[in-house]
Amino acid sequence: MKEGRKEVPRLRMATATEQWVLVEMVQAVYEAPAYHLILEGILILWIIRLLFSKTYKLQERSDLTLKEKEELIEEWQPEPLVPPVSKDHPALNYNIISGPPSHNIVVNGKKCINFASFNFLGLLDNPRVKAAALASLKKYGVGTCGPRGFYGTFDVHLDLEDRLAQFMKTEEAIIYSYGFATIASAIPAYSKRGDIVFVDRAACFAIQKGLQASRSDIKIFNHNDMADLERLLKEQEIEDQKNPRKARVTRRFIVVEGLYMNTGTICPLPELVKLKYKYKARIFLEESLSFGVLGKHGRGLTEHYGINIDDIDLISANMENSLASIGGFCCGRSFVIDHQRLSGQGYCFSASLPPLLAAAAIEGLNIMEENPGIFAELKEKCRQIHKALQGISGLKVVGESLSPAFHLQLEESTGSREKDVNLLQKIVNLCMSRGIALTQARYLDKEEKWLPPPSIRVVVTVEQTEEELEKAASTIKAVAQEVLL
Amino acid sequence: MNVGVAHSEVNPNTRVMNSRGMWLTYALGVGLLHIVLLSIPFFSVPVAWTLTNIIHNLGMYVFLHAVKGTPFETPDQGKARLLTHWEQLDYGVQFTSSRKFFTISPIILVLQIVPTSFSLYMNVLSPTHLPPGQALLSCFSQYFIHV
Repeated sequence: MKEGRKEVPRLRMATATEQWVLVEMVQAVYEAPAYHLILEGILILWIIRLLFSKTYKLQERSDLTLKEKEELIEEWQPEPLVPPVSKDHPALNYNIISGPPSHNIVVNGKKCINFASFNFLGLLDNPRVKAAALASLKKYGVGTCGPRGFYGTFDVHLDLEDRLAQFMKTEEAIIYSYGFATIASAIPAYSKRGDIVFVDRAACFAIQKGLQASRSDIKIFNHNDMADLERLLKEQEIEDQKNPRKARVTRRFIVVEGLYMNTGTICPLPELVKLKYKYKARIFLEESLSFGVLGKHGRGLTEHYGINIDDIDLISANMENSLASIGGFCCGRSFVIDHQRLSGQGYCFSASLPPLLAAAAIEGLNIMEENPGIFAELKEKCRQIHKALQGISGLKVVGESLSPAFHLQLEESTGSREKDVNLLQKIVNLCMSRGIALTQARYLDKEEKWLPPPSIRVVVTVEQTEEELEKAASTIKAVAQEVLL
Repeated sequence: MNVGVAHSEVNPNTRVMNSRGMWLTYALGVGLLHIVLLSIPFFSVPVAWTLTNIIHNLGMYVFLHAVKGTPFETPDQGKARLLTHWEQLDYGVQFTSSRKFFTISPIILVLQIVPTSFSLYMNVLSPTHLPPGQALLSCFSQYFIHV
């Protein structure tokens, strides 16, 4: 109507006070070609239709009739609020410990040697650590009452982060207030929906929860099986070549533990680094058990193998084992760690570590740096007890010889997990009555993805003397003989 | 949610087009584009209109229907990574006010309804006696009459 399709004859430059006549408009409508008018009419009708269309949601609603609803309500049987649990469930029969769970532990009133707590370097009862914690308690009080971003950052936190970064020889470190939440927050901070994570089958529960929270695609490879991992990586590469645009935006991660809690084995890191550079994946190394245990100075698996720490993208560990504090840390390049300060859910939304525990961890690091000889000592003791425990009838040792936390599994399972657990519990109870405190490895049976077989977990610490190790080995042997044969 | 305030919206892309003043800003932006194009001396008015339409439609296509995901990280682990902005609007509810507005705006632009109604008002409904303030506006209306 308004375009000059004909030549310009009627281009009227109107003056400031217009006298535009309605008749001319009507004439223009008559002179416009039919298709033009029809098109414009259709568009105007469409506008009116759009303005009056209703809002609706995309999901289909299957509305049940009243009768069907009644039927469903009738059929439903409510489950009991408290499910029936057997009387000898381990959570109902717990051992009571008086005093600290240090080298000599008092279980149910009986003094035993502690072979159950992850106190690898004996820092739990160390007087220097206790003094540092007490001084910090007098200075700061007990808790922080706030997350890191909301008046919960104290100078001890920043000190501890600096010290950990210096100790591990990385650029930066970040502290979490709960060891389980460390890796469970770190994984979803980087890996989102659509990203791919290759994880070992024996990964611990914290890693499993982190993977679940990340909503990524999880590909599991057999425990410590680099050939299986390579097969999975190759399959992924073929997929990537089919769709390069999608491949360019998916991130690939490999999550492994330094020293596996469930099996006591070490992951083959050199081959992993080679695979990382070949298939362009990033490695997340969870060093909860290997921090303060492996390596000449206790720096973990990278020192043990002599690998440059910059090859590992993120190292996560909890301070609840060797450092005998609470909480966990992640360390790596600044570029990587800084991201967690806003994206790590456990960092942003949980109260920060109590300052007395941070001071205790700093003192623990001091001790580790001053006596690097304890790591070799620990390795020696592990080797000793590994050798001593070989050849027990009925029990096999699962774990490497330099792992201070290894498992004793039944050589032949009875067939039902419950019976196995009861058998092992008998062994544990008998050992405890003879002065050796052991524990079974506990799992949330229904929640674990790949439930390991029941086992007794034996922990070696630096504080145990050789005689005590011998005593433990002979006691376990004798008890196993009695119970299993 | 209003842009620039504290909100608990998981994916702000879903609500940004409902924010206060967003439609007005959009309309003014299109108007500004048109005026800029009109100011270029060698574009005649129909060419300027055509270019406005083309640029507006291209811009709408690229930003609403071609680019996927969000330019920021969302706390839902990337649920909207594969969705265009149009699909993210109002969490997928169809025919909400924002969607209707953005569906109708290119049609209005092509039919030039705004200038038509404006000049209709100026010239037919109040033809002779223009209040002083509107004399300035009527200078622009001469550009819309080119039959």
